[in-house]
Amino acid sequence: MTVTICIGSSCHLKGSRDVVARLQSLISENGLDSQVQLSGSFCNGRCDQGVVVTIEGDDQIYSVLPETTEMFFQNEILPRLAG
Amino acid sequence: MLICADCAYKSLIKFREELCGDKVEMLRTADAYIMILADGMGSGVKANILSTLTSKILGTMFLKGATLEECVETIIKTLPVCQIRQVAYSTFSILQVFRDGHAYLVEFDNPTCLLVRDGSPVPIPFTDRRVAGRLIHEARFTVQTGDTYILVSDGAIHAGVGQREMAFGWGWDRMAAYAAGRLPHCRGAARIAHDICRKADELYDGRPGDDTTVAVMQITEAQIVHLMTGPPQNPADDTRIVQALMSGDAYRIICGGTSATIASRELKRPLRPTLDFSDPEIPPVALLDGVDLVTEGVLTLNRAVTLLKRYTDSAGPDDSLYAELDKANAGSRIARVLIEHCTDLYLYVGRAVNMAHQNPDLPFDLGIRQTLVDQLKTAVEKMGKRVTLTYF
Repeated sequence: MTVTICIGSSCHLKGSRDVVARLQSLISENGLDSQVQLSGSFCNGRCDQGVVVTIEGDDQIYSVLPETTEMFFQNEILPRLAG
Repeated sequence: MLICADCAYKSLIKFREELCGDKVEMLRTADAYIMILADGMGSGVKANILSTLTSKILGTMFLKGATLEECVETIIKTLPVCQIRQVAYSTFSILQVFRDGHAYLVEFDNPTCLLVRDGSPVPIPFTDRRVAGRLIHEARFTVQTGDTYILVSDGAIHAGVGQREMAFGWGWDRMAAYAAGRLPHCRGAARIAHDICRKADELYDGRPGDDTTVAVMQITEAQIVHLMTGPPQNPADDTRIVQALMSGDAYRIICGGTSATIASRELKRPLRPTLDFSDPEIPPVALLDGVDLVTEGVLTLNRAVTLLKRYTDSAGPDDSLYAELDKANAGSRIARVLIEHCTDLYLYVGRAVNMAHQNPDLPFDLGIRQTLVDQLKTAVEKMGKRVTLTYF
């Protein structure tokens, strides 16, 4: 599963670097390195919803901030792996 | 092949004088570099006026395309006549190097131009002719990358005259051998001019017996950088801006995620963003085949411009700036390329307003691309490089 985080200017200012760092550590803490890959993307014009995060095979845009990253991980990433 | 020239000069003023009687004029046109060295008769104010007039007249007329005959005639008719000697006189040399590598050198009564090629002095093939009754030397030839051309006033050749073992001074041959020997140790025209002047000053025991000037032109290969930033105002121009970016032989940079996306689409090559954050403030780079550096837009440009401004400000670069330039973040990388590997910068700037950036909640004004481009252009021009700006 690939999770894509926008690294464009606007999302960068909203903390995409922190989101990436937190996701990286959550993934390795949970031993999921072989199952979840992180990827960057440039601006898709949805800056109002930044930080823009998408999950492979899903059209939905998740608006994730550094402080909501863990919640996103628990609610969106873990269940998909379990399923 | 397009060449580029690094030009600089240094003068020593005759002991007890306040003005230099030698004058160097360095000019650039769209297709050539011109360096003129004039040495006015005598010293002090009179010599200064003669050489200034001579070099300015030559420079202005040459730029306007006048023939050498017209230039020399104008000088003869214009220079004020010395009351003691009843002549108006200033020697001169003109070195004109075209960007395609062709060169024209003309000398009137100055020590002949020294060419150092592959470490040794090489003779220049002169022909003589009379212009307005004066004997001049002329040469047409082709320069090579790595060539160093050194024009000196006779003060350099006469350095140390009458002192110690040098009854007739330093002499052209010894000066040439010294210069050739020093070149491997001196980077850049300014350093070479400084070094030769310092040696002449030493031979004069710190009391130059004549105005002494060394003017240096070093030939390097042009290093062209293409930088694209911002989406075109009219999407119909997307193809043109990307074609401009990809044209010719150049180091190619894209600043901006949307710009990179446009290039990726036009080139039909995948854009692969990375997640390597080496600096907390600068977003990571992306990879795109055929483009040497793909970065985020204004945050990265802002960093690059800040570094370039520090580099060009009056205090000059210091250790901390060089340390900053060596860093891996995209802003440092752009600044480093523009400082160290660029002679000609082509900016391809799209003027579309990025709607995504019209967000008052952001802590940084992302709509300042235009201002950053202007500042970048000014800083790079200040370094003596050519900048060509094209809007889309």
